[in-house]
Amino acid sequence: MFQPHSILWHYLWVAPNLLLALLAGLLWKLDLHREFRAFFVYAWFQAIQWAVLYPMDLISSIPALDFWRVCTGSLLLESIIVLVLISDIFASVFGSYAALAQLGKNLIRWAGAVLLVTATAIGTRAPVNEQVRLVSASHIMEETMNLMVAGLILLLFISAAYFRLAWKRGIFGIALGLGVNACIYLATWAILANGGLPESARNVLNLVNMATSHVVVMAWFYYLLVPAKLTARHLETLPENNLALWNRELERLLQQ
Amino acid sequence: MTLAIVLVITAALSLIVILGAAVTRSLQISVGTSVGSQIQPLDVEAFRNLADAAEEAYLRRRLPTSEFHRVRRLRLRALAAYVRTAGRNAAVLVRVGQIALASSDPATAQAAEQLVNQALLLRRNAALVLVRIYVAMALPHANLAGGSVLEGYNQLSRAAMLLGRLQNPAVPVRISIW
Repeated sequence: MFQPHSILWHYLWVAPNLLLALLAGLLWKLDLHREFRAFFVYAWFQAIQWAVLYPMDLISSIPALDFWRVCTGSLLLESIIVLVLISDIFASVFGSYAALAQLGKNLIRWAGAVLLVTATAIGTRAPVNEQVRLVSASHIMEETMNLMVAGLILLLFISAAYFRLAWKRGIFGIALGLGVNACIYLATWAILANGGLPESARNVLNLVNMATSHVVVMAWFYYLLVPAKLTARHLETLPENNLALWNRELERLLQQ
Repeated sequence: MTLAIVLVITAALSLIVILGAAVTRSLQISVGTSVGSQIQPLDVEAFRNLADAAEEAYLRRRLPTSEFHRVRRLRLRALAAYVRTAGRNAAVLVRVGQIALASSDPATAQAAEQLVNQALLLRRNAALVLVRIYVAMALPHANLAGGSVLEGYNQLSRAAMLLGRLQNPAVPVRISIW
């Protein structure tokens, strides 16, 4: 059941990517692709990446080495697209507030640089299997990319929570999905890249990754396409309290 | 393998934080409590006194060194408590302002935007000043500057007052004292 090319394996590789292509199509149809431009590109990229890699894996005449070359190359491209998407999310969350717009830019620059150095340092420490060098390199790249993504998304959630920033529903869903994906992938790829696991355990970890992707894509459907419940939010009347004293203090401070 | 374990634990903790943030967000949306009542009173004069460099210089001159360091630590602890409260109040006002941002009245929406931006600035400054306070606690000879929080606090008060006026034109001024 957990073996490669089992029914479950096929389903978990095909379904999330087809659903993602469907989601991208729906975003286009509903004219939401302008609002979620970077995610739209990401969704199409994922679908195209699958459309190339899946047949390559199934066609026995294609050498495994070629599959891993294409896989590693597409992973590089995916890293760039994901980082642009995260940068777009940062801009959306912080950019709405003049007081924090610059802070948001600085956060992603500095945190991105620190995470890149950390992830590279961790990546270089991972053991490389000389017989399947390209496979090892691909796992290390996955680990490095997911460490960066998880770190940046975590920073985004912590800073947004600290400042009590209001998220747009779609942006929140995208960030949540990326964060969950990156955390699960980071854990599984860290084990795959650093531990000498038996084949059966590796297969299970691969399926865990695929299942996570499936759940995340479903969550993206929910956050991007299902409208938020309208809650009656009345304007707050600020509490009355010692106003005269406060005004006196203000005037005294202003006159200094 | 140790590295893998560290990464797995890091990933698990990150996942908990991210999912926690998601749950907190959904609770905030559904509960819809009156956030304005969460504002805590704050004595600006006492805060100014604690942040006053001249006051500290005076105490340094008047008190023996060991006594001065003890008093200074107590003052810094009190100052930190004020700054934390100011930061918490700013967070409440961010939410109040964000609710008011949806107002159909352009003047109210504009005042709310100003309030939110100033509250965010204050929250950022409060975090920076707290770091300085903790550094000053650890290093007795380090200087402390709390002026940015005080200034931010004053600006925030003016913005909150304006928003209060716009929301309740009949009432002369409805605004809390912190």
